[in-house]
Amino acid sequence: MRHIRMRAAAVLAAVVAASAALAGCSSGSGEDDGVAKVTFWQQKFEDYQQAWFKKAVTDFNASQSKVKVELVVVPSDTWDQKLKAAQAAGTQPDVATTNYGRIVPGATEGQFAVLDDLMPASAFADIKDNVKGFVTVGGKHYGYPMLVEPSTVLYYRTDLATAAGLDPKSPPKTWAELLDWSRKLTTDKVKGMTIASNGIDLGWSSWGLQYNACGKLPIASDWSKAAANEACYKDLLDFYRTLYQEKLIPQQPKVGYPDAAPYGGGEVAMMANGSWAIGQLKNSFPQLIAKTAVAPFPSRDGDASKTTATLGGWTLTVDSKSKQPKAAGEFINWLLAGDAKLMSSFFKQSGYSKFTVRKSVDADLATDADATADPFMKIIAEKIVPQGKSEPNYPWDVSLAMGTAIESAMKGTATVDAALQTADKAINTVIEKQALAGKQPK
Amino acid sequence: MQRTAKHLRSGLTAYLMIAPMVILLGIFVFWPLIYSIYLSMHRISFYKDPAFVGFDFYKYVLTDPNFWDTMLTGLKYALFVVPTGIVIALIVATFLKNLNGRPASIMKTTVYVPTVVSSVVASIIFLFIYQDEGLANWFMGFLGVEAVNWLNSPGLALPAIAVPGVWLGLGISTLILLAAMHDIPANYYEAAALDGASAWQRMRYITLPNLKNVLLYLFVTGFTLAIQEFQLPLIMTNGGPVNATTTPNLFIFRSFRDNTEYATSFSLAASLLLFVALGLISLLIFKLVKSDKALDS
Amino acid sequence: MQKPTVTKVLSAVFMVVIAFTALFPLAWMAIAGFKGRDEVLRSPFQFFPDVWRWQNYVEIAQDEAFSKAMVVTFAGAAIFTVCSLLVNSMAAYAFARLDFVGKQFWWVYCIMPMFIPMMAILLTSFVVVVELGMLNTMAVLIIPGVASSFQMFFLRQFYLNYPLAVEEAALVDGASRWKIYTTIFLPQSKAPFVVVGIASFLAYWNSYVWPVLTITDPDLMQIMQLLGTFRSDRGNDWGMLMAGSTLAALPTIVLVLIFQRYIVNGVRIAGMK
Repeated sequence: MRHIRMRAAAVLAAVVAASAALAGCSSGSGEDDGVAKVTFWQQKFEDYQQAWFKKAVTDFNASQSKVKVELVVVPSDTWDQKLKAAQAAGTQPDVATTNYGRIVPGATEGQFAVLDDLMPASAFADIKDNVKGFVTVGGKHYGYPMLVEPSTVLYYRTDLATAAGLDPKSPPKTWAELLDWSRKLTTDKVKGMTIASNGIDLGWSSWGLQYNACGKLPIASDWSKAAANEACYKDLLDFYRTLYQEKLIPQQPKVGYPDAAPYGGGEVAMMANGSWAIGQLKNSFPQLIAKTAVAPFPSRDGDASKTTATLGGWTLTVDSKSKQPKAAGEFINWLLAGDAKLMSSFFKQSGYSKFTVRKSVDADLATDADATADPFMKIIAEKIVPQGKSEPNYPWDVSLAMGTAIESAMKGTATVDAALQTADKAINTVIEKQALAGKQPK
Repeated sequence: MQRTAKHLRSGLTAYLMIAPMVILLGIFVFWPLIYSIYLSMHRISFYKDPAFVGFDFYKYVLTDPNFWDTMLTGLKYALFVVPTGIVIALIVATFLKNLNGRPASIMKTTVYVPTVVSSVVASIIFLFIYQDEGLANWFMGFLGVEAVNWLNSPGLALPAIAVPGVWLGLGISTLILLAAMHDIPANYYEAAALDGASAWQRMRYITLPNLKNVLLYLFVTGFTLAIQEFQLPLIMTNGGPVNATTTPNLFIFRSFRDNTEYATSFSLAASLLLFVALGLISLLIFKLVKSDKALDS
Repeated sequence: MQKPTVTKVLSAVFMVVIAFTALFPLAWMAIAGFKGRDEVLRSPFQFFPDVWRWQNYVEIAQDEAFSKAMVVTFAGAAIFTVCSLLVNSMAAYAFARLDFVGKQFWWVYCIMPMFIPMMAILLTSFVVVVELGMLNTMAVLIIPGVASSFQMFFLRQFYLNYPLAVEEAALVDGASRWKIYTTIFLPQSKAPFVVVGIASFLAYWNSYVWPVLTITDPDLMQIMQLLGTFRSDRGNDWGMLMAGSTLAALPTIVLVLIFQRYIVNGVRIAGMK
């Protein structure tokens, strides 16, 4: 019996030794003398972004010897798990990409370091006025903005419009006109339009249109009670419902709202999508660029001065528990607030599908022939971005309630009235359970 | 005297045998579990001290109609997937058992191959099969039926998602059943053949009773895993249309993602409640199929 | 003469149906790997690509990070599988065959983890492995999953099927329980070990979230973690993704081919055949 047990023990020991040997290949995280190590997590989006960040970080590390930045690219589908787990264990990064919607709640919770102490005042003076508010709480800056992207832009095929007897020079201005265009552009093979049709996508992609319909979001300004059950939202739900019920948009979308592949593949004649879609079209479907035009998304009543899009986008934040806040601030200052040419190179790589938040970068782009000649950039920068509002900073469940309402009206599982009533009730429940009343920051 | 000594020694052996498992589970499952229960009773921000709130979050979860809807969706999904999967696996395994030679080995491998596909890839493949002009609708056209909106009809989406669920699990269930069928002594069947038993009688009176231990395993694990399915609806329908395919884990995953003090504890409480529900369902199955004895005892 | 022919034809038809259902999606994946970036998505559905783009496969096969991830993941999965078969089969034998004080309690203890949803302990398991200093090691990928209720339960059900008579004979001959486990049960466990071992291997191979959480060292990058970087909300290179997934599935398919004969031959309890 003994020798058998010995043998089992030997096998186990061998296995343990082997795994220990493998464990040995791991990299240590020892700190070298005098060099501040800064970890930087970047949420993965388009491939060109990773390439740009990688090069920029390498350049930064080579440019000086005091700070060493370690870049980790995190897939976006696991970002929340990874970040929360790290926060729970105290291994969160010094610098992270944070979207605008999370700045205010995060700052209120004490998640971010105040950047005014870590970066020169001139860096903040360079930020455009309409974006400044996105990253400030109580007069202090909690993130340095990198870019803005309007969430809703209308793209349409000029060749198909002409063929359908529509004038590509005067795109639809009202929702009714957009429906009319969609009907005329829908054929056996091609749908007239594509827009979000899933509750999750609708939850965030319809913020701009919620503003457009009612001039506000479906919650009282002090977050004390829901305001979804209003007549102006009925028009919004009707608009989406007509698109789906009349089969003017794909009935089984293959990809989510932010992916422009169906438009690129010629399956639809018009598309609602964020400005980022320009990057995808330029990279994957260059043959379509000449046949594509962009316009502000139509407005409920045709008033072009009303918001139709929220401005999403990224900032870099420093964790409040970071052990190297100074070095982290130095890096952000170099990357986002330093030489305007560096950020210009980013926007160039994005195919001008994202927009700068700095006056000096605007000035630099104005000297760039490619940028000034870009057919889409001018329209978005001049007609959409200035009207864009910031993303709401209330909990996601409020947005989801509205997204679900729109979806149920579209798919016919509830009437428009019933859907809005359900949303109103759901938002009130969120307010009650999460004790939101009066918690509206600022 | 001697009896006691022997009994003790057998007890010691048993403890030594389960020790590695018990210790590993203690460190990597039960310690985290207890910590999660602790966290679920607090409003947690990782930047402030957690505030104790008792069972508040459990109350929030239990009064959330969405939670109950998703539990029901999970249960329905499991009812689509598990019995269908086991019946098909039984048929295929019986068929394979009677094959001989080369075709047998080729078929056994073939059946197992889908198992190696990750559920992400399977979701993408079936997403294409269900497209308006995809394979499924081509087949419907072949039968003379109009194209079906598989993934966006409230009634059809869940069964449509169950198909890749069955497909992914079929290989392993078939092989498990096949391996277990090989264990049934051949002379049972020989005796039955002498009595002139039909194929159905052989299945009913010999195969099924002798597979009891393995079938219990397939039902319990099948239900546990199916109710927890999450990857397929996430990729194929994103939980839609109108939450028709939002399984409990998808719901929990979603509530987890929000960056508020509320979200983390809420999703922990919901997942712990799901744990209780799964335990209860399995307990029921264990009671229904009694299996803790050797077959010949 | 008539009847066997009908049976043969029927059985051939059935085989074709099974093979088609099992292999079609896989073939689709492999062939989609030859397609262009957005050709995969195109409607109407088209099985074969316009142009066979071998470069998708060549590019991935030549990518050093990819081949490194394959090797590292394979090594991890192999060690993981061996460890878990040892740990779980020992416990399974004890629960199937031995009587001991507190058996009921430990049975519940060992089976309960099966019902714990991953999300319930994701955060806190991470905290535990950080406290144990396991981040960025192979150990963090291997050890936490070794003890598996699913596997132990499976093996226990199989051991329940073994005739008691054989074991009793051995006990009469004076063999200890250890000896019975190592000389009778282990050698007879080939088929269940293959079935459940391949499942363990696949569970390790296909795991995604856990490696993303615990590994940032590029040298230890796992295969699904690497494939995850091929995906994005804002447009995918579907051709590359499918080619990568096909290559990543190859080692597991080869394993199935190698080990399938153990299942094909089946198990026979000594003296029962």
